[in-house]
Amino acid sequence: MRRLGPFVLEPRLSPSRAAVLGVSLGAVVFALLLAAAVFYGYGRNPWQAYAQIGRGVFGSWPSFSEVLRRAIPLILCGVGLTLAFRAQFWNIGAEGQLLAGAVAATGVALFLPVPEGWRLPLMFLCGFLAGGLWAVIPALLRVKLAVNDVISTLMLNYVMAYIVEWLVHGPWKGPTMRGFAYTDRFPLTAQLGWLPGTRVHWVTLALGVVLALGVAFLLARTRLGYEIRVAGQNPEAARYAGINFTAVFALVMLLSGGLAGLAGVGEVAGIHRMLRSPSHISMGYGYTAIIVAWLARGNPLVAVFTALFFGLLFAAGDHMRIALGLPFQIVGVFQGLIFFCLIGFEILLSWRVGLARKGRAWSGQIGS
Amino acid sequence: MVWADWLVSTVSRALAFGVPLLWGTLGEISAERSGVINLGVEGMMILGAFTAFAVAFQTGSPGLGLLAAAGVGGVAALFHAFLSVTLRANQYVSGLALSIFGLGLAGLLGRGWEGKPLAATLPSLALPGLSRIPVVGPMLFQNQTVLTYIGIVLAFLLWLLLFRTRWGVAIRSVGESPATADALGINVTLVRYLCVVFGGLLAGVGGGYLSVAYRPAWTEGMTAGMGWIVIALTIFAAWDPLQAIWGALFFGALYHLSYRLQAFLAPELLKLMPYLFAVVVLALSGFGGARWRRRAPGALGVPYVRGER
Amino acid sequence: MKRILAVVLAVVALGTVAVAATKIKAGFIYVGPIGDYGWTYAHDMARRIVDAKYDWLETVYVESVPEGEVETYIDLLVRQGCNVIFTTSFGFMDGTLAAAQRYPDVIFAHCSGFKRWANMATYMADFYQVYYLNGLMAGALTKTGKIGYVAAFPIPEVKRHINAFTIGVREVNPTAEVHVRWIYEWYNPAAAKEATEALIAEGCDVFAFTEDSPTVVQVAAERGLPSFGHYSPMYVFAPDYVVSGQLVHWEKIYEDFLLKVYNGVYTTRNLAHVDYWWLLAQGAVEVGADFGMVINPKWEPFFKEYVIAHPVFGRISVYDLVYIRLNQMADPGVTFDPFQGPVYDRKGNLRVPEGMWLSYDSLITMEWAAAGIVGPWPGEP
Repeated sequence: MRRLGPFVLEPRLSPSRAAVLGVSLGAVVFALLLAAAVFYGYGRNPWQAYAQIGRGVFGSWPSFSEVLRRAIPLILCGVGLTLAFRAQFWNIGAEGQLLAGAVAATGVALFLPVPEGWRLPLMFLCGFLAGGLWAVIPALLRVKLAVNDVISTLMLNYVMAYIVEWLVHGPWKGPTMRGFAYTDRFPLTAQLGWLPGTRVHWVTLALGVVLALGVAFLLARTRLGYEIRVAGQNPEAARYAGINFTAVFALVMLLSGGLAGLAGVGEVAGIHRMLRSPSHISMGYGYTAIIVAWLARGNPLVAVFTALFFGLLFAAGDHMRIALGLPFQIVGVFQGLIFFCLIGFEILLSWRVGLARKGRAWSGQIGS
Repeated sequence: MVWADWLVSTVSRALAFGVPLLWGTLGEISAERSGVINLGVEGMMILGAFTAFAVAFQTGSPGLGLLAAAGVGGVAALFHAFLSVTLRANQYVSGLALSIFGLGLAGLLGRGWEGKPLAATLPSLALPGLSRIPVVGPMLFQNQTVLTYIGIVLAFLLWLLLFRTRWGVAIRSVGESPATADALGINVTLVRYLCVVFGGLLAGVGGGYLSVAYRPAWTEGMTAGMGWIVIALTIFAAWDPLQAIWGALFFGALYHLSYRLQAFLAPELLKLMPYLFAVVVLALSGFGGARWRRRAPGALGVPYVRGER
Repeated sequence: MKRILAVVLAVVALGTVAVAATKIKAGFIYVGPIGDYGWTYAHDMARRIVDAKYDWLETVYVESVPEGEVETYIDLLVRQGCNVIFTTSFGFMDGTLAAAQRYPDVIFAHCSGFKRWANMATYMADFYQVYYLNGLMAGALTKTGKIGYVAAFPIPEVKRHINAFTIGVREVNPTAEVHVRWIYEWYNPAAAKEATEALIAEGCDVFAFTEDSPTVVQVAAERGLPSFGHYSPMYVFAPDYVVSGQLVHWEKIYEDFLLKVYNGVYTTRNLAHVDYWWLLAQGAVEVGADFGMVINPKWEPFFKEYVIAHPVFGRISVYDLVYIRLNQMADPGVTFDPFQGPVYDRKGNLRVPEGMWLSYDSLITMEWAAAGIVGPWPGEP
């Protein structure tokens, strides 16, 4: 029993699903209230603002489709990250793995002489491998050389971003781009189609949902899934059971990075149809996906829905800027608030909170 | 003497560019030594940059601006400490959120401040006597502000604090094994709060240096990724304040050389080096030789709950 | 100049009383933040000027739009009721074209690109003449014979500017060199600062640049070295050292375009050949340290006393030379162009034959480096 201000906390061993959902929703509502204060500060009536955003996002199929489009990379990266997080591997590197996939897809789209019918499937395959192999590096570094996974994956994001910069300024600069730093446009056979009236590259979306199911099956029903969970939850027991850590972590990261790589393929083949500066390819999808996976508590199917939620936030950000005419930085402030609230409310899951009765003995220091 | 020219300009520029890196890194070392990783450096630095500029512009005093920047960096770090120490939230997510939030907030507050010239900038010192020494003078004692020297002195002081005092033992034991420290009667929460907030103060000054000294003006997003180089540098320096000096110099020199060597090497490939080095150095330390030994504090990134292990 | 333009506009307005739109809602899509004090800042200043001038005009803008997202924002602006949309980055080109085909009833104008459509025009205010004038001054200013140029990206636009600048430098100082460093970013103060420092270390003592912040001006001034501002008036950042610079008046183009839309001259069916390439003569760009200040008064005596032997004008002060060339290019008749043959590249190839001017197409696809340029030059033919 601990006290925190006027509250007492009791440890909660395994929170129920209802508690998780309730607390997460509570966090979002709290964040929306904080953001309402920001709207108010800008002279907007918060409730009208929310109504306007809601009408904007849900008002028509084309505008709602933007939620789906933004969710595509988040689903793929997020599902991949749930896999890594289940193995207790902190993969912060989805951003770089996404870019690696985009690079490989561009290579296949522009430079590989293959039959045109094979081009798109090959782009997905190579994008998967590139993202996966880029992610295997930190896996091996951790297993073999005890290198901190958070730091190595984070650093490799920047390495890959500069590699993309170098490619578009240097060897891959497109001759048809009049000297600007872009590759040439992909041929039509390397472009993904859209759902009519939208920009939803549905092949990647379908792939994301199918792979989410696949990863869920892998985790719940296969021997590998069992090994992943044991290696993550109880490394001692896993070692005792003779699980090959190198193989498990390498495979986990190959899949995790591979899924992010597929997201990169989808972005270049479905949206940009070329390789360009990394900050324009990914709107920080790889970083947002960390929250997507974390919020889904490592459950790949739930990650599909949390990804949709963040896709909704991205789309809402667009409406905040245009319909409400708020400065673009407000989107960052808004996102930051939601992240803060989500992780801050986490304590309610590990601790049951009650009001302290007067006169009860002080039973422990805050947080120590 | 062409080599002397190269040496002088490279070291001198490395020092000047290295200042924000050094201040930020010393702050991050302080936080990480106590077991709290703060990925919000970019956010704290940009808030510091805006605050320093706005306060210096209004008051005419760059010193006040830097103090205010330190304060704002400290408050931002306090927020991170509250989330990660008291609420035991995920430190990585909290830090990332702080970076996103800080960039947004600084940009929001800074609207309308761009394009204003700052009359009260932090002056470059020409140390009497020292700046006249051939080669060494222009290399170390010209075109530097007082923050260069304070930063270096601070690195020595932080090293003394961490490795030569009882406080340092307390901080490091909290970072290595909070349960043991707790058992020894050290207030884990207090130590972590102090270290994280101190780190925020330094990051704020590092950001402030950018807007009142290095390039006196405010522009949206002016830290341009420096906070992430700080994270890399902290690892590169093996969580050691003295090595942070060399690390900041080295990264500063790399940045400068990416423009001097442009005819021979693509600048992007030089710019990715700091991040690559951070990984390589960690990997080398994994081979175990004492020479390359670089180990993160044992409890880095792990919230402490009494009674758990 | 302004008066001439106003008259021209008035004539246009009177001549086409045809079908006038009742109200125009113009949307502006920017790639950077309006606080960049460079490219986007200048476009937004122009938007505000035009918006304030006409009550039939309403404007909205979105800033910091990633290049791949332009279509999303066009969709939102169209849904908001915009009937004219300006997109201001080369990277928006394909997205704008796709949107133009999707919304045939909306008028689009894309800045700095080359693809047009029945309802999509292109526009650009270019600085090359202004850089040439700055080059004339820089040639006189350098004592070391080395002039530094901090450049953003090695693209034809920037290469054209460096070439024009270098041609100006060499007209006054035939042995001077222009040392170039690329920062591969439109906006990065730290990169601009270190690139300037690298050039100072190489002995450069006068600076020009392409980057969206006053960094180069400030760094040069710290060392007591003269420089030329870029894009926005940078006189205030170093009143003693900003000699002149390049200034833009996007409002001239926006005003002309929107008036023609308002008056029914431009419709959704006749824009396929509308391409604004506006220079000094149209008033879209200006040479100066600040608006209305061609040469910083502190430096005027220097240029008046600096006399050279010119192949055309004989003995002439650089001050007079600058004004003669300025008038030749600002005159609606335009009797001079910086790329007037013979012009050789730095490999010795003749790029512009004797007496010829470069065509528009050659200007906008320029990859070669003029004689006198030192340093890496990606994509050099």
